[in-house]
Amino acid sequence: MTASYLSRRTSLWHRIYRSPIFDIVQFTLLVFAVVWFFSSSTEKMGYNWQWYQIPKYIFTHDENGYAAGPLWEGLMVTLRISGISLVLAFIIGLGTALFRLSQSFVARTIARVYLEAIRNTPLLIQLFFIYFVLGPVLGINRMTSAVLALSLFEGAYTSEIFRSGIVSIRRGQWEAAYSLGLSGFDTYLYIILPQAVRRVLPPLTSQAISLIKDSALVSTIAIYDLTMQAQALIAETFLTFELWFTVAGMYLIITATLSVIVNYMEYRFKVSD
Amino acid sequence: MPVKDSGDYIIVVENISKTFPDGVKALVDFSTRIHRGEVVVVIGPSGSGKSTFLRCLNGLEEIDSGAITIDGIALNDHKKSRLEIRKEVGMVFQQFNLFPHMTVLENISLAQRRVRKKSKEQARDMSMDLLKKVGIAEKADNYPGQLSGGQQQRVAIARALAMMPKVMLFDEATSALDPEMIGEVLDVMKALASEGMTMICVTHEMGFAREVSDRVIFMEDGKIIEAGTAEHFFSAPAEDRTRLFLSQIL
Ligand SMILES: Nc1ncnc2c1ncn2[C@@H]1O[C@H](COP(=O)(O)OP(=O)(O)OP(=O)(O)O)[C@@H](O)[C@H]1O
Ligand SMILES: [Mg+2]
Repeated sequence: MTASYLSRRTSLWHRIYRSPIFDIVQFTLLVFAVVWFFSSSTEKMGYNWQWYQIPKYIFTHDENGYAAGPLWEGLMVTLRISGISLVLAFIIGLGTALFRLSQSFVARTIARVYLEAIRNTPLLIQLFFIYFVLGPVLGINRMTSAVLALSLFEGAYTSEIFRSGIVSIRRGQWEAAYSLGLSGFDTYLYIILPQAVRRVLPPLTSQAISLIKDSALVSTIAIYDLTMQAQALIAETFLTFELWFTVAGMYLIITATLSVIVNYMEYRFKVSD
Repeated sequence: MPVKDSGDYIIVVENISKTFPDGVKALVDFSTRIHRGEVVVVIGPSGSGKSTFLRCLNGLEEIDSGAITIDGIALNDHKKSRLEIRKEVGMVFQQFNLFPHMTVLENISLAQRRVRKKSKEQARDMSMDLLKKVGIAEKADNYPGQLSGGQQQRVAIARALAMMPKVMLFDEATSALDPEMIGEVLDVMKALASEGMTMICVTHEMGFAREVSDRVIFMEDGKIIEAGTAEHFFSAPAEDRTRLFLSQIL
């Protein structure tokens, strides 16, 4: 009784300790420490904090009701770009993983070339290449270029995650599916992928978070995402510290929310094997 | 041995050889014929090629030379013949290999629906019948991880039977089980044998061999050393190697 009570407590403690929520708490404390450090040193610097200015850049409220401010609009652009890129990156990643594991030499080679090209060049260069070189040639706009660059880049990393998940499934699962007469497609769809994806949910989440953070780079091709809006506002208002803190906080809220959702999913769909 | 029409062989294995890439000769010029409804027990020391033999029969391993014919279908490189044979030959593994993310019912229904193209209701009815047959209908909605080893193996047997195979292969189906669970799995296998299923069982359960097998094959180094009834093996094995092996397992 006592033993099981104790072990339940340790496992609960373990769950808290190992969950992203713990990381978020740690991170928040760190942010507070940094804020305190900054506020005390900026005081000495004579920085004039004007936090009261910030809310109107997120929302304004007048007789017509609420209206979105530039930061909110930027947030929506960031969310849209990240959301579409995320879906595409997962599709590209899964496709590439299957290509790499396929019997076909051509498919494997295509996958290898893509992976090497993406992983050995900086995202910024890929973004510029797609926007300034492919853009005019293929006639694609800013937004499409940004989404394409992000999903191709993150897709390369996602594919390695999917691949590691797929190869981690025991051979017996393949053999059982084979001996039941299941096709290769059905084996992947019903047996291998459901188990592989559950196994790689944590690294996939990290990759999704990287994608959201990397999306800030699209500001370099003048897309008015969260980062770009902040830069523009700072140029106008000189509220450098307040705005960067606010924007960092907004990114943090998105990524933290994502972690919490995935953490919950992981808990819900846990398989014992 | 029960008298059977000598022409009615369901499995014909002619001079097959299998050498693994690392040079291990798992099967050497191996031949045997198996009657419809025959129950064959394969015994032999570890590494003698028993699993390889079974795995060649359903195409899990490629043979280097020789020929395998199952129910008139030649197992060759054609995808179609391979699929046909995979559908007709059921296999039960030592490690069960149930699909852990699916319930027992889903495990048994999947291939019926995807391969045999049955409706959901048809598949469920058949699955429930099979679960009753192996004695664990009440576990239909459980996940494999919630079942004991013996129960899992019985689900695995039901899953293979759901494809209505003509031949069942058992590779040490009871070796991973706790002793108290071996009986329940052997009982299911015995029932299957008495219904006339053609079975090839790799097992060292000599009691099972004695009770239901028509023939016992003793193999070593990828070859058949001696074959005969279980009685023959108990009373008068001809080869020294057979005697030595039996003295170790009995
Ligand atoms: N995939 C493989 N690659 C290389 N060698 C293999 C492979 N599978 C089996 N072998 C070798 O082939 C020989 C026969 O193996 P097999 O598994 O058929 O023996 P077995 O009679 O089933 O043994 P056990 O009683 O231990 O299960 C062994 O020497 C084994 O090491
Ligand atoms: Mg074996």
